[in-house]
Amino acid sequence: MTDSHQRIVALARHEYRAAVRSRVLIALLLIALVATAASIYIAAVDYRSQLEDYNVYLQAARANGIQRVAPSPLRLLSLLRGALEYVAIIGAVVGIALGYLSVTRERSSGTLPLLRSRPVTSGELAAGGAIGAFGLIATYVTATVGIAVISLGVVGHGWVTGTDVVKLAFVYLAAVAYLGAFFFIGVIFTARSKVAANGLILALGLWLAVVLILPQIGDTLDPDNQVPGGLFAALNVGKPHENLILSHFGTYETIRTNLEAASFEKHFERFAFAMTDVKDKYASFSIGHLFVKTYGDVIWLVLGPIVLSIAYVHSFRRPTSPTRGANP
Amino acid sequence: MTATTIAVQEVQSLCRRRVFAAFVGMLVAVTVLAGIIGWSSHNTIVRVYDEAVGLLATEGRAAPPNPFLQVPPLALLSNLAIYLPLIGALMAIIVGHLALADDQSTGIGRLLFSRPMTRFGYLAGKLAGTATVVVAALGASFAVGIAALRIANGYFPTADQVGRLAGFYLLSWLYLMTFVLIGIVAVLLTRRRSLALLGSLGVWLIVTFAMPQFTSGLRPTSSLNPISDPVSTSQRFFQITAQARPLSVSEQYKTASAQILETTSSSLGTGPVLRIVPLLALLGALVVLAGVLINRHDYAEASSDD
Repeated sequence: MTDSHQRIVALARHEYRAAVRSRVLIALLLIALVATAASIYIAAVDYRSQLEDYNVYLQAARANGIQRVAPSPLRLLSLLRGALEYVAIIGAVVGIALGYLSVTRERSSGTLPLLRSRPVTSGELAAGGAIGAFGLIATYVTATVGIAVISLGVVGHGWVTGTDVVKLAFVYLAAVAYLGAFFFIGVIFTARSKVAANGLILALGLWLAVVLILPQIGDTLDPDNQVPGGLFAALNVGKPHENLILSHFGTYETIRTNLEAASFEKHFERFAFAMTDVKDKYASFSIGHLFVKTYGDVIWLVLGPIVLSIAYVHSFRRPTSPTRGANP
Repeated sequence: MTATTIAVQEVQSLCRRRVFAAFVGMLVAVTVLAGIIGWSSHNTIVRVYDEAVGLLATEGRAAPPNPFLQVPPLALLSNLAIYLPLIGALMAIIVGHLALADDQSTGIGRLLFSRPMTRFGYLAGKLAGTATVVVAALGASFAVGIAALRIANGYFPTADQVGRLAGFYLLSWLYLMTFVLIGIVAVLLTRRRSLALLGSLGVWLIVTFAMPQFTSGLRPTSSLNPISDPVSTSQRFFQITAQARPLSVSEQYKTASAQILETTSSSLGTGPVLRIVPLLALLGALVVLAGVLINRHDYAEASSDD
């Protein structure tokens, strides 16, 4: 390991340890994890009851000598929907808070000028900070996935298969990339603000627009979301007729789809929901086919963090001024 | 120096920092947005229904009644009951945060208390100042809402509709003031601005997303849609947690808003007045807590801008 690598590892360790010492960050992580656990527990209990019903049906069918029985309509991974929504909403706040605290910690403690007095390049500082933050993000996502898999098995009596594990691994990577993007946003906005709290407010404003407002507008404009249970179900209209009717509302649907596509969160949600069978239409697809169907979302999830990481590295090259009124 | 002086200074300070303009601008923008979304989606649904009726007729099937026939005129603004607890509450936290954090970090607090002024008078002034700002922002939103209803429905809202809309805004004012107080209390409990802001945000996340999940099984995105599918709450888990449902103020706010605006056709049990009680209790508790904390607060201690 070269000296540069050693310095980066030391900085990453420092970043990780300092982050887990932040009580407010731990509190936000706990809120996310407890809400996640509750959502999965509720879904798993429902799943167990439906699984028992299906098994009773299966036994009855076999006892009557019926050879061809309906396959189980239950999709285990779809129970992760609530958990994925918490990652998308609260996890993003954790990412911003991580980035914000990363900058303000060094500013207020005065360690940044000390670090710069050592033979550490701005690139090493940026890399060390990012690796440490991604380590914490990975820990959070691992805890979420761990809680999910164990809850589904123990409470729901449904254990994930090999294919499920591969799908979960891709969702895991997407979640880390998604949250990493918000970490970069937290750092960039804070580093560019003289008063750090203003940077945090701006970053949260962006989070509000991207994570909550844009997807909400898209969802609300969806004709099928206007009536409880779905408009087309209320009208007794099947899927072919639904598609035929919607084809006459091309402009409306284009505006709605583009509004959703402007949200980075929606791309994470679409990819994660496709991989976890939340959407019925993807349930029978192979993993390769799922990637083909969601390639646009994958591009966003790859390019988004890369573009933001460039701005993140750039923010380390700028001379940092101490925060006005900051305590040493 | 009186509470009125503090209140006027607070309003001027928020105006100078453009927070006041941002708050008014945001609420006006979301009202316009809610109006456009309501008008656009309603028009589209009516056209979808007409097309569905035509298609079903070609197959010799009877069309079900138009699900939108019973929708009241105020439903056009139903999205406001989603946007105000999201954007409005976050802005309210920032208003509450800035009201005290600036005095603390700039040292103005120490200077103020070198003058003959009580802590209670200071808090009352701050609350009056922030309440005025929230009233002004909601008032602007109310005026735009009336204009949106006039344009979209083609007639001026009736006295009953204006009264209902005013009732909804009064409820929203109480809801937003709760978050102003959360922002204030968080500043008094912490020494760093970032901790205060993130702590308030944590409370907002619990109130907006975690509580509805625990007490009603509402997923985060279900909480963001004015029309959400009913969730099965027959599990034992909910038999326990549902006891706390009256304390889930965001749910109570959403339901009371739907009742006041008559945007729901189904019976929702408890009336809007009773649903406001937990919100009023929380508001009262936060005022008392802020009073206790401000009396104990040591303004000689410097706080960090970070």
